[in-house]
Amino acid sequence: MVEVELVAQTLINGLLLGGIYAVAALGLSLVFGIMDIVNLAHGHMLMIGGYVAILLFSALGVTPLIGMFVAMAVLFVFGMALQRFVLDRIVDEGIEQPIIVLFGLALVLQSLGRLVLGSDAQSSEIGIPGAAIEVGPILFSFPRTVTFVFALGLILGTWVLLQYTATGRAIRATAQNRDAARYMGIDTDRIYVLTLGIGTALAGAAGALLSMLFPITPFVGWSYLLKAFAVVVLGGVGSIPGTLVGGLALGVTENISGLYLGGGFRDIISFSIFLIVLLIRPHGLFGSGGGGE
Amino acid sequence: MSEDTNGKSRRSYLKATGAASVAGISSLAGCTLGGGGGGGSETLTIGATVPRSGSFSSLGQSVERGYQLGVARMNEQLERDVEIVIQDDESDAAQVRQSLNQITSNNDVDMLWGSFSSLLVTAGSAFAENQELPFLGAFFAYEEPHRNEGYEWTYSPFPKSRDVARSTRGLLSLIPENERPTNVGIWEPNSGWGAEQSTYWDDVLSNEGYDVVLRESFQLGSEDFSSLISQSKSADVEILLSVPTPPGGITAVNQMQENDFTPEVLKFVRGADPTAWWSALGQQGAFACMCPGWVPGMTGNGNDGFKSAFESEYGLEDGAVIPTAVGGAYNVAQVALQAVQAAGSTDSDGLQTALRETEFGTVIGDFTFEENGLPSEGQLTAPTGQWWEGGQHVVYPDTQGEEAIDFRYPMTPWSER
Repeated sequence: MVEVELVAQTLINGLLLGGIYAVAALGLSLVFGIMDIVNLAHGHMLMIGGYVAILLFSALGVTPLIGMFVAMAVLFVFGMALQRFVLDRIVDEGIEQPIIVLFGLALVLQSLGRLVLGSDAQSSEIGIPGAAIEVGPILFSFPRTVTFVFALGLILGTWVLLQYTATGRAIRATAQNRDAARYMGIDTDRIYVLTLGIGTALAGAAGALLSMLFPITPFVGWSYLLKAFAVVVLGGVGSIPGTLVGGLALGVTENISGLYLGGGFRDIISFSIFLIVLLIRPHGLFGSGGGGE
Repeated sequence: MSEDTNGKSRRSYLKATGAASVAGISSLAGCTLGGGGGGGSETLTIGATVPRSGSFSSLGQSVERGYQLGVARMNEQLERDVEIVIQDDESDAAQVRQSLNQITSNNDVDMLWGSFSSLLVTAGSAFAENQELPFLGAFFAYEEPHRNEGYEWTYSPFPKSRDVARSTRGLLSLIPENERPTNVGIWEPNSGWGAEQSTYWDDVLSNEGYDVVLRESFQLGSEDFSSLISQSKSADVEILLSVPTPPGGITAVNQMQENDFTPEVLKFVRGADPTAWWSALGQQGAFACMCPGWVPGMTGNGNDGFKSAFESEYGLEDGAVIPTAVGGAYNVAQVALQAVQAAGSTDSDGLQTALRETEFGTVIGDFTFEENGLPSEGQLTAPTGQWWEGGQHVVYPDTQGEEAIDFRYPMTPWSER
C-alpha cells in the first residue's frame, strides 16, 4: 500500500470510528441539551446496554443488531424511572445535585456490574454473515461498517423524532423555555421523563453496538463518558448534526494524528483540538451562542 | 434545545464535572503509610495482593492458586507455620498500596508478594521499600525500576525484557532459514516497559539481521488498533510483537481478523497470557505466542511435584494444561521457601541477605539475584509458549516435557480457520 492509500485507509478507519463515537455521545448531548442535566452515568448506562446485548448473544445467539432494541427498551424504562423517582425530586435544587446523584449512580452501576457480571472483558459478535468490503485498495471492516450504518440510522431517527413529531416539538419547546411550554399546555414533567428515557435508551443502543467492536467491562463507563463529553463539546451541546460531526472529527483526528505522530499522541492531539475549539468557539461547532432570554 | 442557556450550562457543566472527577479520584487514592513489618515470630506471614477484579482479573485466580500451592509446599518443608494474607488489588496501583497497607497494619507480616504487571508490581515494591520488607514480584519484566529506583528489598524472580527479546530471537531461529520471515513490526504501548521491551526487540532482532519495518506507539489501554493494523499491512509486517494488556490483545486479534491482516508470527507478551485468551477467541487465538515466565512443558526444579500438586488440588482434565500464571506464582513461593531455609529465620535483614546470596532453583530455572533485585544476567531463559488446542505449550527452548510442542508456523489466516 502506498502512502496515499494508507492515508485514505486511515481516514476511513477514523470515519467509521467517529460514527461510533457520535452514537455514544448522542444520548448525552440530547439530555444535556434539553434538560440541562449532565448525565455522568451515561457511560455506565452504555455499559449496561453492552451487557444486555452480550447476554442475549451468548445465551440465545441473538445478534446485537436486534439485541440493541432490547437494550434500548431496558434503558428507556430505567431512564424514565430514574427521572420520575429520583431526578425529578432534585431537579430544582441546582445543577450540582443531579451531577452528584448521577456520579453516585455511575459508581453503583460499576460496582453492581463487577459483582454480577465479573471483571473480565466480554464482547459479542455481529452474528450475521459478512466479510470485509474492499473498495479498491481501501478495506471497510464489516462489523464497523454495519455499526456505522446503524449509528447513522439512530442519529437520523432521533433528529426526525425531534423535528417532525408532536412529541419532538414538545421536547424542543420545553428545552427552549420550560415555563412557556407549560403555559402552552405541555406536560413538561412528562417530557423530562420521556427525554431521559430516550437519552438512556440511546446510551443502551450505543452500548449494544459497541459490544460488537470493543470489549465491555464494568469499568468502561468513564472512558466512554470522556469521549462522549469531548464529542458533545466539540459538536455543540444539544445539536444532533453537531454530535455527528463532532464524533467524526474526533475519530478522524485520532487516526490521522496517530498515523503521523504515533498512537501514543492520539489523545493529546484530539483533546488539544477539543481545547482549541473550546477557546475559539466555546459553543462548539454547531452550538448556538444563545441570546439570553 | 436550550440554546439560550448553553453558555452558562457549559461553564457549569465543566465546573461540576471537574468537581465530580476530583471527588472520584480522591475516593480512589489516598492511604497513609503505616503499620509495617515485624518478623522474628515462629509463623511466617506473607502479605500479597492479586488482581481478582479489573483488567488483569483473568489472571488473578491463577496467580492466587500458584501462591496457595506454594504456601502448602512451604508448610510441608519448613519447621514453622506459613500463612498468607491475600487481598484483591482490583488491578489498580493505588489499590495495591492501600491493600498492602491494610495487610501490614493488621498482621505481623514478614514478606510481601505480588501482583501482576509492571504497573502493579512497581506499586507494591514502592510500598515494600518504604516498609523495608522483602518483596518478591513476578510477572514483571520491566528492568528500569531495578536500575533507577535503588531497590534494596525488591527481588524479581522472573525473565526480564532482555530475556524476552532473546527468547523471541530463539523462537524465530526455529523456523528454517529459507522460510524465515524478516519483516518485524513492533506495536509499542506508551509505557515505560513498552518502550524498554520494544527497544530490546528492535536491537536484538536488528542485530540478528531482521528488518524492523514498523515500530509504532499506541495508547496503553487503547481499544482501537485499526490504524496500527493498516500501517502493519502497509509495511508488510510478517512478525508482529507487542506487550498489550490482556483485554487489549484479544481486541487486537478481533480487529486484525476484521481487517483481514494475519501476520506469520504473532507474539503478545502479557496480552496472550491469560486463559481468557482462548475462551474469548477460540481457534482464532491459536498460533499466538507469549512469554509468561513459566509454560507447561518445562521440566526440572520441582516441575513434576508442582504439576502433581496442582492436579491433586484443582484437578486437570485429560489434555488440559496448567495456566501459565500458576507456575509463575508458584516460583515466587519456591524462592521464598529457599530464602527462609537459607536465612534460618524470618527476620527481614536475614531474608534480604539470603535473597542476595542464595542460588535459587525454581520451576522457571536456576538463578541468583543481582543487588538491584534483577535475576543475574544470562541465567534465565524466558520460555516462549504458544496457544494450541486450548492450551499454552512451551515451544522454546526445546524441552522434553510432556506438554511441549513444536513451534507452529506460519499462522493460518483468520478467514481459513
